[in-house]
Parts: sequence; C-alpha cells; structure tokens
Amino acid sequence: MRVGADGVGPDPSPMSGDRSLSRRALQVVAVLAILALAVAAVIALGSRLNFGPQQYLQLVLDGLRGGTIYALIAMGFVTVFNITGIINFAQGAFVMLGAMLAVTVYDSGLPLEPPLRLAVAVLAGIGGTTILGLLMERLTIYPARHHSTLTLIIITVGAYIALQGLALVAWGAKPYVLPAFSTLELQDTTLRFSGLVLKAQSFWIWGTTAVVLVALAFFFERTLTGKALRACALNRKGARLMGISVSRMSMLAFGLAAALGATGGIVVAPTTRPMYDMGLVLGLKGFVAAIIGGLVSSPGAVVGGLMLGVLENLAAGVTKPGLKDVFAFVLLILVLLYRPEGILRRRGRVVEQS
Amino acid sequence: MSSKSQGVLSLLLVVAALIAACAPAPTPEPTQPPEPPTSAPEPTAAPTEVPEGETYKIGFSASITGPGSSLGEPERNSAEMIAQQLEDQGGIVGPDGVRHDVEIIIYDDESNPDTTVSVVRRLIEEDQVQVVVAGTLSGNSLAIVPVVTEAEVPYISMASARSIIQSPETGETYPWVFKTPQENVHSAQWQALYLQNQGITKVCHLYENTSYGQDTFAGAQKAFEEPGVEIVYSATFERTDTEFGAQMAGVQSSGCEAVVVGAIPPGASTVTVALRDFVPDLPVIQGHGTCNQAFIELAGPAAEGIVTPCGRLLAAETLPDDDPQKPILLDYIADYTAFTQGAPISTFGGHGWDGVMWAVEALGSLEEGMSLADQRAAVRDYIESNISGWPGTGGVFNITPTDHLGLTYEALTFVKVEGGQWVYFPETDW
Repeated sequence: MRVGADGVGPDPSPMSGDRSLSRRALQVVAVLAILALAVAAVIALGSRLNFGPQQYLQLVLDGLRGGTIYALIAMGFVTVFNITGIINFAQGAFVMLGAMLAVTVYDSGLPLEPPLRLAVAVLAGIGGTTILGLLMERLTIYPARHHSTLTLIIITVGAYIALQGLALVAWGAKPYVLPAFSTLELQDTTLRFSGLVLKAQSFWIWGTTAVVLVALAFFFERTLTGKALRACALNRKGARLMGISVSRMSMLAFGLAAALGATGGIVVAPTTRPMYDMGLVLGLKGFVAAIIGGLVSSPGAVVGGLMLGVLENLAAGVTKPGLKDVFAFVLLILVLLYRPEGILRRRGRVVEQS
Repeated sequence: MSSKSQGVLSLLLVVAALIAACAPAPTPEPTQPPEPPTSAPEPTAAPTEVPEGETYKIGFSASITGPGSSLGEPERNSAEMIAQQLEDQGGIVGPDGVRHDVEIIIYDDESNPDTTVSVVRRLIEEDQVQVVVAGTLSGNSLAIVPVVTEAEVPYISMASARSIIQSPETGETYPWVFKTPQENVHSAQWQALYLQNQGITKVCHLYENTSYGQDTFAGAQKAFEEPGVEIVYSATFERTDTEFGAQMAGVQSSGCEAVVVGAIPPGASTVTVALRDFVPDLPVIQGHGTCNQAFIELAGPAAEGIVTPCGRLLAAETLPDDDPQKPILLDYIADYTAFTQGAPISTFGGHGWDGVMWAVEALGSLEEGMSLADQRAAVRDYIESNISGWPGTGGVFNITPTDHLGLTYEALTFVKVEGGQWVYFPETDW
C-alpha cells in the first residue's frame, strides 16, 4: 500500500455535504481550543521564567531559522517519497556530506580569493553530494527495486550508517569550521534590534531556501524533466506508459534530495561545527517536518519545518531547553496518531495505488 | 594527526614490539624515564647480566574517535609516547632485578560506553593485562567500574566525575578504581572563588547533556552554596544544537550576573558564541573540560576573555620555579611535542600520562613469579599506598585508601583566553 498523491483515485469515504460541514466546524473548534490551550500553557510557563515579548519573539525567530533547515531537508524526503514511495533515511547523511565536502574544499588551499573559494566550496559540496546521492540510488536502491518498500527503507537506513561510517574514516571525529558567509570568518555579523539578536547567516539560510523553493517550482512546472518527475509522482504506471523511464526518475529523485540536503547542511554549517555525525539529528528532524507536512508536498514540508522549528523552540524555552528533541519527536507521534495525512491536507485522501 | 600517520605509527609500534621481543640480551642498566621521586627501586642484579621476565601488559583504551576525540587523541598520544620511551630504555626492572618489557595495548572506545565495556573486557580476559588505564569520558568510565570490580583488575580512569571512584549513595570508595583528572567539584570551587571575588551572587549554569556536564552542575550546586552564590537558572544543551535561543531566553530573563558553562568542545565553543551574541556583558566561566586549544579554535573571537580553572599544564612556563610540578610539566611538554611533532599540549594528554605512569611504576614493584591475580592485586595495593606526594601533570597526588584521586582544588589553577591562547590568570590579577 502506498500513499498516493493528491487527487488520485476515488475518495474512499464520500460524505454528505451537511455532515462533513458540521464535522469540519467541530474540527476547527477543537483545533482552536487546543491552540488556545497551548498558547495559555506557553505563557503560563514563560511567566514563571519572567519571559517578556522579546524572549518569545527571539524563540520564534530562532525557531524559524532552525525550521528553515528542517524544511530544506524535509523537501528531500518529500521528493524521494513522491517519486519512489520510499522514505530515504539517508537524507541526514546528505546534510552532513554537503557540509563536510564544502569545508574540505574551502580548507583545501585553492588559490582563490575567499569569497570565490567559498562559492566553489558550496558548489562542490552540493555537486559532490548530488553525485553521491545518484550513486547511492544506483548501488543500493536500483538493484533492490523489485523488493518491498520496507526493504528499500531499511536499505536507506543502512546507507545512512555506511555513509556516516565513511565520513568518520574520511574526516575523523573532529569538528570543523565553515566560515560565516557574510564575514568569511568564524565570527558572524550579529544584528541587534531592540534586544533581539539575529545572525547574518540566518538571512543566508532564509534567502537560500527561498531561492531553492522558486527554483524547484520552476523545475517541476516548466522543465520536461520536472514534469516527468511529477508524472512519476502522480502515477508511476501511467508515466511509464508515456515513455518516461521510472528508474531514471528514481535516480534523479535521489540526486535532487541529496542536493537539497547538502544545501541545508552547507547553509547551517557556519552556525554549528560540522562533524561526521551531524546528519543524524538534522535528518530525523527533517523527517518529522516532512511528516507534519504530509510527506507528499513541498509547501507542506516548508510549513512542517517552520512549525517544528518554532514549536520545539517555544516548548523548550518555556520548560527545559534540554527537552527540545523530546518535544520534536512527541510532535511526530502526535501527528502520526491524529493527522497521519499531515496538517495541510484534508482527511480521506489516503488512497491505494495498485 | 592524520589517519595515515596513525597507521604508520601503529605499524611502527607493532614492528618495534616484534623487534624488542626477538632482541637478545637487553642493554644493561636501563635508565629510568623522567620519573617522579618515588620511582621503582634500583635493580639489584649485576648490571651486565639482567635476567628477563615476562612482558607486562597495560591495557589502554580512550575515546580516539567520536565526540570525545579531542580529549582521547592526546591521551592516546601520551600512552604511545610512554610505550616508546619504555622500549628505548629497555623495559622496567623489578625489585628482584628481573627485567620486563612493558606492552601498552591501545584500543579505541569510540566515545561509546558499550564499546568501552567490550574493549575493556577484551583487555582483561583475552589480553590478560595487569592493569587497565581507560575511559576518556565519565560515562564510559562509569560503565566499566562494575566490570573491573568483578574481575578484580586495577583500573585508572582518565575522566573527571567523582562517582567513578566513589559511590555517590554510600560514599564507599571502589577498591579497584582510581582516576587522574581533577574533579568538577574542584573546578566549581575555583569558580566559586572567582565569582565571590567579583562580587557575583547570581549565576546561570548551562551544561551539556552528558555525564560530564551533569557532574559539573552537581559540583556547582555543592560548591556554590557556601559562598552564597545562587544558581538562578540552569539548562542543558546538546552538542549538536544549532540554536541556543531557548537557553539564551532563560539566561536573559533570569537576571544572572555571570554564566557558568559545563561542557567540552565543540559544544562548549558553540554555546560560548551564542552567549557572546545574547549576553555580551556577562562574564563566562568555563569548567576544565575546555582546557585545550580546540575550545579556542572552535569558538574563535568569542573565546576572548573567557576564564576557567585548568590544570597547571597549560600554564607550565609561567609557574614559579619552586612549584613541585614544574619540572615534570616541562619535561612532559618537551617529550610530547617531540613525540607528536608539534601537536598542541592538552591537559587530557596529561591525564593519560599520569595514569599510565602510575601503572608503569606499580608494575615496577612486582616480583617475578606471581600469578596474574596476585600481580593485579599488588598493582592495586601499590597505587593505593605508594602514589603519595607524587607530582604528575594533574597535580601532586596523595592517594589514600579512602581517596583514589588524592587531589584538592589547588591542583587546578586559573587561566584566561588572551589573544587566542590560554594564559595563567593568578588570583592577584582578578
């Protein structure tokens, strides 16, 4: 059984207009009540710590930054899932590989001016990771393409562990430094607005994600390859009948996911100290974001990522910061239990694709 | 050190060990290493004809890879350096005049408690070592305490938590377990002194969500109470965190006057960068988990002005000449720099050196013909009763049956980051 894309197959639970309307109304009320409760809880807990508006705003800002990274990673999950029907847990490894390759190229002593060297490093990080993504699909997924989805998912877990192990051998266990994009130094420019703190790198993160979103939209809407990918996402058999090579599209999906993950890893690298295991938590958070967004849509992934970032930061801020990851995964469980189709989609869209 | 040169080095060591094993009569009258005053007794046999005994084995395991590697690598280097020195001098000679080669078997615990347990079991059961020096991280060290206790093998930890050598519940000292690093409570005592001196009464405490971090917090709770320093806000963070907004919001709204951090790099560095952004005016005081160059490299300019209690090793050259540790420290620095071809000095390498040197000295007290179990017991007894007034890199150790570390807070000193370097920051300059 696979979760199909929007609009495929008949709606299995057609409801009469009245009933569905009153149900919708009830749902809206319930959601609003839960939201009100959550806001009240956050404010109550925050007042215990003397939080003012500045603290909440800062938490939201930080959450939006982290959430943007989750969104980029989540889009990789969505791309692979849409086209191949599998969840690619190696996505976190792409994040790490992007950052590590970029650091390596930047530090390699290329005889270039630092800004140009950084640009080359970024491109090499994304390009190298994309190639690794394509290779990974050819070497691990393609030979097993006739196996069950579960087998393929387990293969991606194995691929993650293998890639992380290779990274450990290649780079050792030490943390590296990728300079902030604005200053080209370890120390980033810090912008302050009436007590709020914003790093220049945050704008690079947001800007990059916006550019990536536009580029993706263009790619899927305006290019033949993009359209072929979308065709595979909608109906694999139909796409094959139209002469689209589904196996090539699968490879392309992994390449695209790798590029998205690498981009996320590279823009976030200056805010952390990249090392071989940085992909684990980021990859899992990206997965949570993708699930929140319904796993089939890129806009959903973006909303999911931003929501996850903001919610985990707020929740951690007003309780215990050490519980940040706990909140993220509790959110995953809640979404899987109550809105398995994602927060953006209406119920009754889960269909079977033969 | 690159993995390639590591490979070459370990190959060389293996070859060297083989050559040593096949070598005929050893050179007479082995010179002692740069050892503390209470070194092994002089050989009694005729200098030309030294009988040869069994090879002693020291089991060594450190976090050479994984999150603890910035600590574990220098520890490993120290162990390799001592192995090389022992080989150059032709092993050690016991009180009965029998010469013994000393083999140091080195494993990587990958910063993982499970791996630590399995490699230590291997050292004890398969390699049949007389003594184990292991555990870069507190969590890993705690994991092997029951293993060595059950097997009755003397064990020297290189991690700082007090609970490694002493039960936090009953206060009982674990008979087989020793450790070399100064403790978080000693760090906390220094931090308390400094805070008191600066007239600070309200602090925030941020610590990494690891055994080490939690122990720094426990130490601070203990040591800050008496001088009346209140911890008004505390929070944990993860090494992999990319945002510290939650912690910073807490720090900002708590009204604390200084921030105490309990972490090792890179977490200690990234949280320092965040603190400099959010609360640039608050003093930041680290614990001795940051006593290496990696902390400064990963924090960049944000590290400037950070103060921390540290072992004397980092400030060796600026110490007064009558300091009992100074000659040991200078020798260690010279030897380590030469051996590693210029790797930066870190106090963690010193913790490894102290531990292995205790083991070597204790092995030097063994008589020929003892069973392995007796040898292990004798090594334990020797360390407990003879490591006294023993100047090492971590301090002047005075081990007693109830204190298997034998240091007070005075083993540490206070340092500050100035111009990208740790410099001695004596109380008179505060």
